[in-house]
Amino acid sequence: MKTECLEWLEQLPSPDGVLASEQLIGRESLRNLGLPKKYSEAWRLTNLKRIEKILKLPLAQSNQYENSIDKNQWPEIPKDGVRIILNNETNYKTNLPNGIRFLSNDDIKETINLSHQSIDETNDWGVSVNKACNNKLLALKVDGLEEQSLEILIPSQKETLNPSRILLVLGKKAKLKLLQVIIGEGKSSNNNLIQIHLDEGSELNHGLICFGKNDSSLFTQACIKQNIDSKYELNAIQHGWSISRFEPRVFQQNGKAKTKLNGLQISSEKQQLATHSLVNFNGPEGELEQLQKSIAADQSHCIFNGAVKVPKEAQKTNASQLSRNLLISKAARIDTKPELEIVADDVKCAHGATISQLQEEELFYLRSRGIDSNQAATLLLKGYCQEIINNLPVAAERWQILNQIIENLNK
Amino acid sequence: MTGQNTVDKLVSKPYKYGFVTDIETEKIDKGINEDVIKLISRKKDEPEFLLEFRLRAYKQWLKMKEPNWADLKYPKINYQDIIYYAAPKKSEKKASLDDVDPKLLETFDKLGIPLSEQKRLSNVAVDAVFDSVSIATTYKEKLAEHGVVFCSISEAVVDYPELIKRYLGSVVPISDNYFAALNSAVFSDGSFVYIPKGINCPMELSSYFRINSGDTGQFERTLIIAEERSSVSYLEGCTAPMFDTNTLHAAVVELIALDDASIKYSTVQNWYAGNEEGVGGIYNFVTKRGHCRGKRSKISWSQVETGSAITWKYPSCILQGEKSVGEFYSVALTNNLQKADTGTKMIHIGAQTRSTIVSKGISAGKSSNSYRGLVQIGPQATGARNYSQCDSMLIGDQASANTYPYIRSQQPQSNVEHEASTCRISEDQLFYLQSRGINFEEAISMMVSGFCQDVFNQLPMEFAAEADKLLALKLEGSVG
Amino acid sequence: MLKSETKLILEVCDLHANVEDQPILNGVNLQVYAGEIHAIMGRNGSGKSTLSKVIAGHPAYKITGGTIKFEDNNLLDLDPEERARLGVFLGFQYPIEIPGVSNLEFLRVSTNARREYEKKEELDTFEFEDFVQEKLKIVKMDPAFLNRSVNEGFSGGEKKRNEILQMALLEPKLAILDETDSGLDIDALRVVAAGVNKLATPNTATILITHYQRLLNEITPNYVHVMANGKILKTAGKELALQLEKSGYDWIEQISSNKEENQ
Ligand SMILES: Nc1ncnc2c1ncn2[C@@H]1O[C@H](COP(=O)(O)OP(=O)(O)O)[C@@H](O)[C@H]1O
Ligand SMILES: [Mg+2]
Repeated sequence: MKTECLEWLEQLPSPDGVLASEQLIGRESLRNLGLPKKYSEAWRLTNLKRIEKILKLPLAQSNQYENSIDKNQWPEIPKDGVRIILNNETNYKTNLPNGIRFLSNDDIKETINLSHQSIDETNDWGVSVNKACNNKLLALKVDGLEEQSLEILIPSQKETLNPSRILLVLGKKAKLKLLQVIIGEGKSSNNNLIQIHLDEGSELNHGLICFGKNDSSLFTQACIKQNIDSKYELNAIQHGWSISRFEPRVFQQNGKAKTKLNGLQISSEKQQLATHSLVNFNGPEGELEQLQKSIAADQSHCIFNGAVKVPKEAQKTNASQLSRNLLISKAARIDTKPELEIVADDVKCAHGATISQLQEEELFYLRSRGIDSNQAATLLLKGYCQEIINNLPVAAERWQILNQIIENLNK
Repeated sequence: MTGQNTVDKLVSKPYKYGFVTDIETEKIDKGINEDVIKLISRKKDEPEFLLEFRLRAYKQWLKMKEPNWADLKYPKINYQDIIYYAAPKKSEKKASLDDVDPKLLETFDKLGIPLSEQKRLSNVAVDAVFDSVSIATTYKEKLAEHGVVFCSISEAVVDYPELIKRYLGSVVPISDNYFAALNSAVFSDGSFVYIPKGINCPMELSSYFRINSGDTGQFERTLIIAEERSSVSYLEGCTAPMFDTNTLHAAVVELIALDDASIKYSTVQNWYAGNEEGVGGIYNFVTKRGHCRGKRSKISWSQVETGSAITWKYPSCILQGEKSVGEFYSVALTNNLQKADTGTKMIHIGAQTRSTIVSKGISAGKSSNSYRGLVQIGPQATGARNYSQCDSMLIGDQASANTYPYIRSQQPQSNVEHEASTCRISEDQLFYLQSRGINFEEAISMMVSGFCQDVFNQLPMEFAAEADKLLALKLEGSVG
Repeated sequence: MLKSETKLILEVCDLHANVEDQPILNGVNLQVYAGEIHAIMGRNGSGKSTLSKVIAGHPAYKITGGTIKFEDNNLLDLDPEERARLGVFLGFQYPIEIPGVSNLEFLRVSTNARREYEKKEELDTFEFEDFVQEKLKIVKMDPAFLNRSVNEGFSGGEKKRNEILQMALLEPKLAILDETDSGLDIDALRVVAAGVNKLATPNTATILITHYQRLLNEITPNYVHVMANGKILKTAGKELALQLEKSGYDWIEQISSNKEENQ
């Protein structure tokens, strides 16, 4: 297993660009980690065969850039909106709105150094792969009091492994609505690392739509550092990947911040979708509201692992986590595992998990009003998804994801 | 009086059961190897098949690795530094209670478990296990009238070899885990219960385990078989003297319930937990599992875990029979430097199986208390249902409470529901009780016992009150 | 009233039903003609809600004997949605909350399903908005409720109004209202009662399940039935409700158990 990883490392181009030092770090840790192993708790349920396949794909090259997906399928950008497409051009010639600017190389280095404290790549395969092979960075800073909005689109590249990285800094009291869309098609793999720093009093509404197709796979790591009085809301949707693993980690550095994590994963066919979240409270009076939903159809598999850590410093933390799962096929499977670790006595922490079929009482209520059982089930599934989808930034509407989900589920 | 003041005045009461009985003991040499196993088997006059069972387990054990749980850090155990068999001399034959060494009877008197005819509990039959052997079983004759067998497992091996052959290791296979393999190789004694068809056992059965020798490991083995339409309630209690070394306790308990049978298994575990600095105490690594083989069978575990330096224990149910029911009710209290990692596994195999889990963890001092559970709904378990509730209470800001409830489902026609919360004793509640004239200490223990009520309700009457008192005692001095 | 001249809408014959192998209904007989209002009373647990859910086709109940005819249809052969489209409406005692499902969409889909059966043209989103606005007035409901999830976070009274709104939209032939009056304040009760009266026609029928005379003051029943142990014990005119209000259920159960002993 280790050798395959080494072979892969050997064929990588030599470190280059603003991320050169990161590439060295990533490669070093991958040399130690090798491929993920079945017996490690974090990978126990993962289909490792599909992970191995990812490293067999050649790395996307900047000179031969070709999207897997027909551009015409992308919804139009609204008149006053801004879309940045993260492809292999190193320059993103976009007119940024006032209040958002590109970070200078010096800023980038400083921010990345700062974040070393919060990302532990020595233990983190997905992040290590990203660091090892990525030279594509979009680094943005948002300032001012006006609410900004932005769409970042990350398409897959044909038959390649396509890494990308986003660095996003929100200054004091800055506000941003971010819609991040990752789409995959064909035999391709995306690996996206997004680092977010939220300064005091800043607010980020982060929508993440991850839609795959066919044999595409995805690794997404989101590392969020929150300073006091900041608000972070994430609504993440995963659907359609052969294998997808989403790992949001939130660090409330000094507590007293608000975090809201909503997740929805809908798997069908033989897909395996996973969310491994971690919320770490490093100071008092932090708040977390987490709702993770899954729907598993056909022969698919949904996994949720949600860790919440409340150390001694984090008195008066108020955290709740709920994992709700729908198993709608006999051959599908759901695994869910909340993990709460608490060492502070004056905290409120609650979590819950349910796995079931669509509720019979709800179906009956709809049917008793004349709605046939298929339509009733569709309505309920839609409603189930809508609870999360409704919270996405408005820009998400144009992507019409709900219709696609329902279409795929009804196949 | 401020809270802090009160705390300073409250000093943890010494472990009540920490005395050592001064009795001549026969011990074999330290260490484990095939000869030791043969020696144990010979001392017990065991049939050949059991020696083979032990040797097979030993070979398996040699191949296995000690589990390495993240939450349970403890110094490495030297398995060659443990004595695997210790028995009071003269104890080997015990035709009647009169032959039992009076010192032993006195010991059990002191522990609150009188064995002699005049003093024994009126509706509870007791099997008393001292170090590696069972020294007496009360009410044997009365139970025999109903066809109920209640004896030490050593006796059962000789008297009921067919049952032992059929069921020993059938629920917990020898290769199940490291400690189960070790137990299977060297188990010394324990209780055996057999309830014939259609019989509701006329009295509570209970085993009392006493570790007396400091350097001896205890490896007891319990096997309970409930035939069709029978029922039994069984309780085990445990204590040990205070030693400043750690003693290993690795028990295996197997329960088998056939059609319409029900087994209720309750534990009040109060092994010595070590002192405030965490010196000494029992390592309690136990494998308990029940197999609901029959239709509509039921296995219910209730446990109050207050002792041991380290507890590692997951009483589980394999719900195979259609409509069978599994239950787990647990209170685990840790104080000082104790560590407890406990929970349950409910494996739903059969259709319309149901399970309920209620776990209450209380962590005080610098202790760590984890709930680790697995609810698994297999592809055939149509209509299966599980409800779990895991609450933790933290007392002081040094203690930790962890919850790891694992859920897996492969059956859409099923329902799994898990709820968990963390709370602490609120100042308002304390104040309310105190303003009604209830003292601080009492108020705390009232609230803790209220927190645990759902579980206490499941314990046999006689022991519920005791468990309550035990908690209050354990908590003294821990609240601030 | 001359029954032979009016149309028989619902006929329940010797109906037996179980839930989880437990018999709940033990031989219910009931005939409801067009234009009639029936009240069913009885202690908690006597089987009133079960009867109404069995008529609506709830899958949790197993029919172990008897028949239910609705006009010319054998109801027991039909799915719940088919019964609804024929014009059977159940106002639930405990309307369920369905998070995420938009109330407006739900109402539109169900209204159109019923209209399709009635061979009325389908209403598009705009037409439906108008249609709903009109019906909202009947139940004096705030249009804001349309944009919420089905019953989610509604108060008890709001849920009941939402039930009556559905009844107004679906225009059923037979409405069964299971304790629609419970938990309502006086004003809300009047609104609901006025709604029911307004929707009642000579061609439709209503079954009210209730504990209170105060509803029957607003809606006058032709018949009052008393249920106990999964059976209808006694049937009489509206005066029976007054008598029950005064003396409780004991005396009826007494009489009927005496009767059974004598037989
Ligand atoms: N789904 C069900 N599961 C189990 N028992 C039920 C169910 N529905 C009804 N029952 C039982 O049937 C009896 C009648 O209930 P119900 O019809 O609700 O009475 P009522 O509406 O007259 O108060 C009660 O004893 C109730 O507990
Ligand atoms: Mg009712």
